[in-house]
Amino acid sequence: MERKLLFSAKNITKSFYGTQALKGVDLEVHEGEVVGLVGENGAGKSTLLKIIIGVQPQTSGEMFMQGKPFAPADPMAANKEGVGMVFQEQSLIVNLSVGQNIFFGHEKDFMKYGVVNWKKMYEDARKVLEEVNCGYINPKKKVIDLNFATRQMVEIAKVVNMTKSEHGDHKCLILLDEPTSVLNEAEVQNLFKEVRKLTAKGHAVVFVSHHLDEVLEISDRIYVYKDGENAGNMDIKDATEEKLYEAMVGHSTTTEYYHLADQRKPEEEVVLETRDMGVSGVFKHCDIKLRKGEILGICGVVGSGKEEICSVVCGDVKPTSGEMYVKGKKVSYSSPAQALQDGILMIPMERHAEGIVRNLSVAENMALSNAPLLSEHGIVLKKKVDEQADRWIKKLRIKTSSKDAELISLSGGNQQKVVFARALASEADIIILNHPTRGVDVGAKEEIYALTREVVAQGKSVILLGDTLDECIGMSNRVIVMKDGLITGEFQADADEKPSQVSLVTLMM
Amino acid sequence: MVKNNQEALTIQEEFANKIKAENRREKLIKWAPVLVLVVLVVFFTIARGSAFASASNFVTILNQWAIPLLVALGLTFVIMIGSIDLSIDGTVGMAGSIAAVLLMNNMNSNNFGVFGIIIAILCSVFVGFLIGVIHVKLKVPSFMVSFAFMNICTGIAYVAYSGTPAKVTDPVFAALPKMSFLGIPLITWIALLMLAICIYIQEFTPFGRHIYAVGTDETIPRSVGVNVDRVKIKVFTLAGFLFGVAGVVGLIREQLGQASIGTGKMFPAQAAVVIGGTSLAGGKGGVINTIIGTLIMTVLENGLNMMGVDSNIKTGIQGVIILVAVILTTKRGSTIISK
Repeated sequence: MERKLLFSAKNITKSFYGTQALKGVDLEVHEGEVVGLVGENGAGKSTLLKIIIGVQPQTSGEMFMQGKPFAPADPMAANKEGVGMVFQEQSLIVNLSVGQNIFFGHEKDFMKYGVVNWKKMYEDARKVLEEVNCGYINPKKKVIDLNFATRQMVEIAKVVNMTKSEHGDHKCLILLDEPTSVLNEAEVQNLFKEVRKLTAKGHAVVFVSHHLDEVLEISDRIYVYKDGENAGNMDIKDATEEKLYEAMVGHSTTTEYYHLADQRKPEEEVVLETRDMGVSGVFKHCDIKLRKGEILGICGVVGSGKEEICSVVCGDVKPTSGEMYVKGKKVSYSSPAQALQDGILMIPMERHAEGIVRNLSVAENMALSNAPLLSEHGIVLKKKVDEQADRWIKKLRIKTSSKDAELISLSGGNQQKVVFARALASEADIIILNHPTRGVDVGAKEEIYALTREVVAQGKSVILLGDTLDECIGMSNRVIVMKDGLITGEFQADADEKPSQVSLVTLMM
Repeated sequence: MVKNNQEALTIQEEFANKIKAENRREKLIKWAPVLVLVVLVVFFTIARGSAFASASNFVTILNQWAIPLLVALGLTFVIMIGSIDLSIDGTVGMAGSIAAVLLMNNMNSNNFGVFGIIIAILCSVFVGFLIGVIHVKLKVPSFMVSFAFMNICTGIAYVAYSGTPAKVTDPVFAALPKMSFLGIPLITWIALLMLAICIYIQEFTPFGRHIYAVGTDETIPRSVGVNVDRVKIKVFTLAGFLFGVAGVVGLIREQLGQASIGTGKMFPAQAAVVIGGTSLAGGKGGVINTIIGTLIMTVLENGLNMMGVDSNIKTGIQGVIILVAVILTTKRGSTIISK
């Protein structure tokens, strides 16, 4: 069946301050089609969607909607051209009613003698909801009183309505970014029913999800993105989970990059253990053992629970079930400061928000976690702070104009090295590295890998959340895989026998 | 694989249950202010018997309710968009003082009548507008701009009457404080009229809906083309208008146009808005909540007065109330629903 081309994007690139999120991707969507879009974290899926909906412009490349050039300045312009998106983040105003949300921003259309005619608006809202098979939703109900599945349907109704009303009777393109993460199986099936109703009318849907089984169920064609590039594009009849996994993962990088020669076997002693640990509504039944001198990697997509486990281990969040033992002693932390006293420290993922103090100097940043060690009689001695700074700048080859330079003036890689210095200076011996090479150039990345090897060689232990699957596998002695809040697998990752990325990805999605 | 799905379901259910529990808590808290009002009325009736629960005290309470209601109405909208307005004491006093020197008074030969009142209110509208513009366009935090204007307006008030406050001698104006209709004092009717207008604005105009959106998350209305800046400026301007009306009502009560008409008006208004259930974070609550909140503060003031409580202790009690109300209603560690 020959379907007419509805939307196409050609050679889209997107750079953010030197990193290339998209290196030239293509996407074609036909009328009445469901196109699945899959890929690892950071593959560029959400970035592309945001470009299509007009939240951000592409750096280069062209888009066409119904044959005409398409370059929306903002989401409203995209709506006018027939493109709508249901974002990953909830975009409903919870204290307003369903109807008011559906028509939000368009209340003027219902004004009569200076008053909004809510009665008419609710009638129209009912019609819109019926169109997407949600006639059971009462448009007068406040969104805050609805469960997620219902809110999700309201969002879809809102987007479909906005897009269609702006665009007249033409065919529309609806983008769905991870629409099923909060839905159970029955609710997912309901969503699919809606999608099929839409496509039966000739509209098209792009379905982004890391639930590969769902993507395989609903899509007509599937695109695979990897590292900001097209990595594959298959018809549903040719697609299998294995083929998707193969396309998604990259080639393994050279052994020297991860200093595999320096990978040591950890000792037997268990320094950190969690038993049946969980945070209600986030993750549960997590049993993790960290040995002395070990690098333990945890892999998973966003929402798998790996971030949250680290928050619990470093003392930021209290678990609602289970126990944690540090060096054999049962512990319960109310704050990271308490965890630090037991030698646990996390280098956070959001460097700018949680890792550095931008306006303090390099030296001052390094001294943030171990002030007591640099003090005498309760006063921090500048001499000791400076000595420490000089030592670490030399040791880690940190490029800075001086130890008193403001941290914000350093490059990303060097900022990260300062954060490392702070962690090491604190004499923590259980260090959690949360995406330690994010926003860091290749040269500095390698130095950080070497540094991590050195650190465990000295007897410290590391939990690693890698930026890429490759990094996680390459650096770790052992890798744990998480999905939807549960541990789904564990792999030995000895230097001479690393597991394949495919075997990990299979358990992640 | 099946087991996995079952376990994962439970995690989702846990999350859903957490949200449901939060919502239930919210619903309970919604009724708390009404309960508090009832408790207060009962308490003071018991404490002071027929002195409190009499028809004449009821009229007194209505009289005392007018200005706090007007002020709190203006403040409600500001708090709903997530900002704060500390200019109240100054703006109210300024409007009252300017009106006094423009009406027929004992200090000069002006006799602008109704126009005098209109001009005075226009001044406070303009102040509100300026606060909004400076906060939105120059990105100065609202508490800072409004606090500065509190002092500026107090200064303007003093300048308006240069030392000695003007006593209004207009005979029509002098009769106003005693006027009542259906047993309810005129000034309360004025406040109720403004209340009706505010309800209309909040519930029956797009502007009202946009206020909730801006207070919830600015990116949502922005992405739909709502001019968030304009919404904010309009809110501060509207607040300025209401504060101006409050100033004129204050002048009606006192018949003397001095800056102190505004003194001490902000604090109970803040308390009233928060107790009523409008969240300081914005996006929640509204004008109806403020009705209960202001009644609570007015009944409390009336009752404590009747019991002879020292005025400083009264202020302390109000402070404690604000603190408790904010503590109970602040969302700590809210569950962010991002999928």
